[in-house]
Amino acid sequence: MTHVMLKGLTRRFDDVIAVNNLNLEVESGELIAFLGPSGCGKTTTLRMITGLLLPSEGDVQFDGKSMVAVPTEKRGAVMVFQKHLLFPTMDVARNVGFGLKMAGISKKEIDRRVSEMLELVHLPGFETRRPHELSGGQQQRIALARALIVRPNVLLLDEPLANLDANLRLEMRELIRTIQREMNITSIFVTHDQEEAVMLADRIALMFDGVLQQFDVPKAFYERPNSAEVAHFFRNDNFLAGTRRGDCVETGLGSLAILPDHVTQPDGKVVVTVRPEDIYLAPTSDENLIHVKVLAQVYMGTYKQVQLDVDGNKWLAHGPADLDIREGDTIPIQLPKTHIWLLPPANGK
Amino acid sequence: MNRLKLMEKLRVPMMLFPAIAIIVVLFGGGMISGVGQSVGYFPVIGLNNFTLDYYRDVLTDDGFITSLWLTFRLAFLSTLFSSVLAVAFALVLRHTFRGSRLLTLIYQVPIPIPHLVVATGIVLLVSQSGLLSRSSVALGLTQTPRDFPVMVFDTAGVAIQLTFLWKEVPFIGVVVLAVLKSVGPQYEEIARTLGANSWQRFRYVLFPLMLPGILSTSIIVFAFVFANYEIPLLLGVRHPTTLPVMAFRNYQDPDLALRPQAMAISMILAVVAIFLLVAYKRLAKYAVES
Repeated sequence: MTHVMLKGLTRRFDDVIAVNNLNLEVESGELIAFLGPSGCGKTTTLRMITGLLLPSEGDVQFDGKSMVAVPTEKRGAVMVFQKHLLFPTMDVARNVGFGLKMAGISKKEIDRRVSEMLELVHLPGFETRRPHELSGGQQQRIALARALIVRPNVLLLDEPLANLDANLRLEMRELIRTIQREMNITSIFVTHDQEEAVMLADRIALMFDGVLQQFDVPKAFYERPNSAEVAHFFRNDNFLAGTRRGDCVETGLGSLAILPDHVTQPDGKVVVTVRPEDIYLAPTSDENLIHVKVLAQVYMGTYKQVQLDVDGNKWLAHGPADLDIREGDTIPIQLPKTHIWLLPPANGK
Repeated sequence: MNRLKLMEKLRVPMMLFPAIAIIVVLFGGGMISGVGQSVGYFPVIGLNNFTLDYYRDVLTDDGFITSLWLTFRLAFLSTLFSSVLAVAFALVLRHTFRGSRLLTLIYQVPIPIPHLVVATGIVLLVSQSGLLSRSSVALGLTQTPRDFPVMVFDTAGVAIQLTFLWKEVPFIGVVVLAVLKSVGPQYEEIARTLGANSWQRFRYVLFPLMLPGILSTSIIVFAFVFANYEIPLLLGVRHPTTLPVMAFRNYQDPDLALRPQAMAISMILAVVAIFLLVAYKRLAKYAVES
């Protein structure tokens, strides 16, 4: 159980700033996801936490103590990589027991804890197998066992599920979550998959271009995104420019009522957004009713995805699978004020 | 159909035939002729009777055991030092740093240069009249060139060792470096995060990864040095000398009566070399597996 604090963490590679002034606090026993597209600096941050990479500026603290001068091998921040998982020259038992052997633990104790760990990752009796005899999922679990056996201060996982197929991914996701809760290890994992982050993490740190965009619980990224970019990353491209005046927003389609206590943007220029699944395609009242044109519709099995022209902006909305509308129709839709969120007027959206 | 099957079966042997033919005719022919001469079949000088006398003569000669030991020591030390240095260089050169590409290129320069050229260079460098000796006098470290330690034509075989090192370090190193570069830094990084210090990372992670490469190249180096005659002939003392030099001198002697002895030495050399290589391979297999 270790409290991790990143203070003004910055890493430059020549002229490129890979991570820019990152401030973030991970509570003891918390599971955090670093989320973002490739090259956004999430793996660089992970490497700085392990000490494999030194920060250009800023500090990494474990339980209030600076780790910058502490070498990787003494930090107790164990990393599980997405590739090159197991040492090919060692069997499973030696792989799992590696950290304990390095710490000078007796062979008997190592053997005991290795078999305990293999039980934990549901691979008992695999001690004498060689890495090449294992499937990708099994290798991943052994790599996890090897990391957990040393009872690390912080467990770092770099895209741990990226190389697995869909079923294994689900299984592994549950395993990581269960073990992490059971052992109560502060854990940070890197992913570019927002679904994975949402399902696994207590909190998500979303990064773009080395800058932390938002650090919050998963739900917040859907309901209260910081910016249009964050909303877009979480598959919400429904944006409509407007001007907030107290408890309503003036838009090109008329005035929309909002809940003043729910939104955070002050009066003035704003961007209105409502998630596709929160739009009522079959309105229940006259409040916030707007008329829009149906551009396209796609049957998605359990629901229907409808593309709408909302004052020149393309919006998506989800309706019941049996919704009877035609492309080209102008239909009334309702934007429930409980689900209207206001974004800052960035990038003209 | 049967013909097709037969052709398919013969395909691999047919493809291998040119290479095998060369080996059988050149190497096998030489071997048979050599074995024949060593057991007394040398019709050119009128020897037609089978005898093991030449083997007895060679094996009971005091100089033989000394030469065998010298040959083994030279091969063993050259292989050991070459391997250690090659690993050390590979560990440095696997990193990318300013000038690392140039350094890697320079490091590989000795590979295509013939051993004889290297031997000449080593003489010019380390003999008492060589560059180092003269520099030492110029710097006032030694009074005269004679004060410089004897490294060429010496009993310890320093110049011989240096020649082999200069040639074989890059040979082993190129393979080990390729292994290290293909493996990448991740295994070492994993080990680091798991608490392994730099010695442990080398001992438990890198070394086992390099070991098959080291063993397969060092076995070639050992076999090469063990059977090499030109470098000890050029840079070594006359007595004691290595077995290949001994065999070569007997072979070169105008007195053809010495030829069977030369062949007996060569055959013993071959048998010892094969025995050592088999032992080495066994040991290597055991080392890799455990």
